[in-house]
Amino acid sequence: MVWSTWGTPEELTRYEEFNDEFMKRHPDITVKLQPVASYSDYHSKMLAQLSSNTAPDVFYIGDDKLGQFVSSNRLMPLTDLMNSSASDTKPDDFFPSLFGAAEVDGEIYAAPNDVNSDALWYDKVALAAAGITEDPATLAAEGQWTTAKFLEMNDKLAEAGLTGTMFWNYWATHYGWISSQGGEAYNDAGDFVGNTDKTTVEAVDTLGNYFQDKKFVVADTLPEGAGADSVFVTHKSGFFAQGRYTIGTLKSAGVEADYDIVDWPTPDGVAAPTGVAASYLAINGKTKAKDAAFTFWTEFLSADGQKFRLTGGGNAVPSIKGADEVVLEDNYPAHAQTFLDMRDVGFANYPTEAAVPALSTDISDLFLGLYEGKSTAQDTLDEVAALVESKTGK
Amino acid sequence: MGRSAATLLPGGLRKEAAWRRRDRSWGYVFVAPQVVGMAIFVLLPFVASLVLAFTSWDGLTELTWVGFENFTAQLQDELLLRSIVNTLLIAVITVPLGLGFAVIIAVALEKLKTRTLYLILFFAPVVTSTVAVAMIWQQMFRSDGVLSNAISKIFGITPPDWLGDPKLALIAVCIVSIWSSMGLNVIIFMAGLQNISPSVIEAARIDGAGAFRLFMQIRLPLLSPIIFFSSIVAFISSLQTFDTVFILTQDAGPDNATRTIVYHIYDLGFGRFEFGPSSAAAVILLVLTLVITAIQFGAQKKFVHYEDDPV
Repeated sequence: MVWSTWGTPEELTRYEEFNDEFMKRHPDITVKLQPVASYSDYHSKMLAQLSSNTAPDVFYIGDDKLGQFVSSNRLMPLTDLMNSSASDTKPDDFFPSLFGAAEVDGEIYAAPNDVNSDALWYDKVALAAAGITEDPATLAAEGQWTTAKFLEMNDKLAEAGLTGTMFWNYWATHYGWISSQGGEAYNDAGDFVGNTDKTTVEAVDTLGNYFQDKKFVVADTLPEGAGADSVFVTHKSGFFAQGRYTIGTLKSAGVEADYDIVDWPTPDGVAAPTGVAASYLAINGKTKAKDAAFTFWTEFLSADGQKFRLTGGGNAVPSIKGADEVVLEDNYPAHAQTFLDMRDVGFANYPTEAAVPALSTDISDLFLGLYEGKSTAQDTLDEVAALVESKTGK
Repeated sequence: MGRSAATLLPGGLRKEAAWRRRDRSWGYVFVAPQVVGMAIFVLLPFVASLVLAFTSWDGLTELTWVGFENFTAQLQDELLLRSIVNTLLIAVITVPLGLGFAVIIAVALEKLKTRTLYLILFFAPVVTSTVAVAMIWQQMFRSDGVLSNAISKIFGITPPDWLGDPKLALIAVCIVSIWSSMGLNVIIFMAGLQNISPSVIEAARIDGAGAFRLFMQIRLPLLSPIIFFSSIVAFISSLQTFDTVFILTQDAGPDNATRTIVYHIYDLGFGRFEFGPSSAAAVILLVLTLVITAIQFGAQKKFVHYEDDPV
């Protein structure tokens, strides 16, 4: 049985270790990893392999490409298998909002490997340098982590000559902000409605203003050699919206003691859903090793499988119930539970966007125009609505 | 009716003609692998691309015929227009500068005894993988890299953010392109300079031409056929700029500042799985290349001189 994914050398080494353990448990199954180093090359290779019927039996899919692969009818329907006695991964074991475009009309075609909610990492040293005495996580625990408080902190950081908050420019950032501020990007029918919702327009207006004032910074556009990671570990920014993988960055810089996490602020201080990034695992609909492929698939995604992959400074959060201890094992960061809380209420990329390759990227480009002052919030959202309609008919 | 050519030949020559026919057959056999290779890897993809340009296809679902829709959509696509402008800018900057520097270096090295050493140095980037070249330059262009540091120290200014600033990223690509193609052009121009008949040079000297006038009025005009050839190759090569942009500026640079046509084709096809629009953009690039090459051929009549041209 062959399976395929992208990944860093460290991640691929971990996967090979998983293979070895799997083959010890199943001596009758031989597992081979077919890795692709670059994420940008991965899906085109998979596409070519699927077209030529040479695709691996099991393979990863990114959350920006998932919808297209699902609609291609090349993936094995999994709902019955997941509910069978051979399954370690019942549909209900996963957090339902994380299936996103993997679920169509009640049929599941892939499941999240693990996930990453973008918590707001904050630097206590930078906050202190800006004269901020309140601790965001403490405020959150007291129900006082409001948007007004967060923006006030960013104002103070900017006054002190520091960057307020760094965000990566992708779907989870702008939709996470809209959602946390009580707005709505897409309705339940999958139509983009953000441009007609007053709360959304106001939220995006605030977001745009803070970027234009340089209090918020797009991490993608920071110069080479002065990237977001180095800005953050050198105490030049107050907040950085990132996943659990930030632990590795902080530990390698030896500054982990100065940092903690908090969820995104809301107008009333009550936690709200934000975007959760994910990759998915699917089974080739034409696999000749159906049983072996499913055995591997279900064990890879099971609570034990996720514990194995994410233990020891893991870089993500489990997507399944029963493996949360890997996030809390080191008691780092102090409020690591926030990762789990954010996952529990968070949402995957909207199926409408995930169904069209690069639609999310094109929308991020429109938001970049807003952040750079080339457009207004209303115009940006109108452009997004028009783009979504032109690409999806919705 | 006249007799065939074969019947007019004497017996010995007829034998030779038969031998030549056999020889020609073996020639076909030896050429066949190349022809088959060309058919499979050049002609077939070309035809496939041409057909795909009129379809909508994402690589997985069924292919549907859409007529000229992809072409009209692409010609209205701001990204394609931007990539055409970027590509033309790269060509307009790199071709004259690259060829100009190469001519100067070729002339400077011509009489130098240690020119082989310099030629090796100049030629090294040509035989180095463009990916490796781009990665090395990426390090040099970092704000704390060698080039930025040098500029900072010499001029006492803040190091430029070559790859992060939309205004500088395209210039960075041009610098790398000029640097990496320099060696080949130097070698070609040196060969061209050595091919100029010494009698022409000698005649000009006897007529009192100094070194500068000799170069401007004799050697440069006689080098013009080589320069013309190199400019065609360099222009086509510039229109196909991809790997430098892909590696050096992380895909298409800040705010698509270095998005070239070939990158646009790649992005549509393999980034967005829109193979129809991608193929349409490829056809547009083909037409653009043909038009530019035709213009160059038209212009060459005025600027290219041959040794046996009537005075």
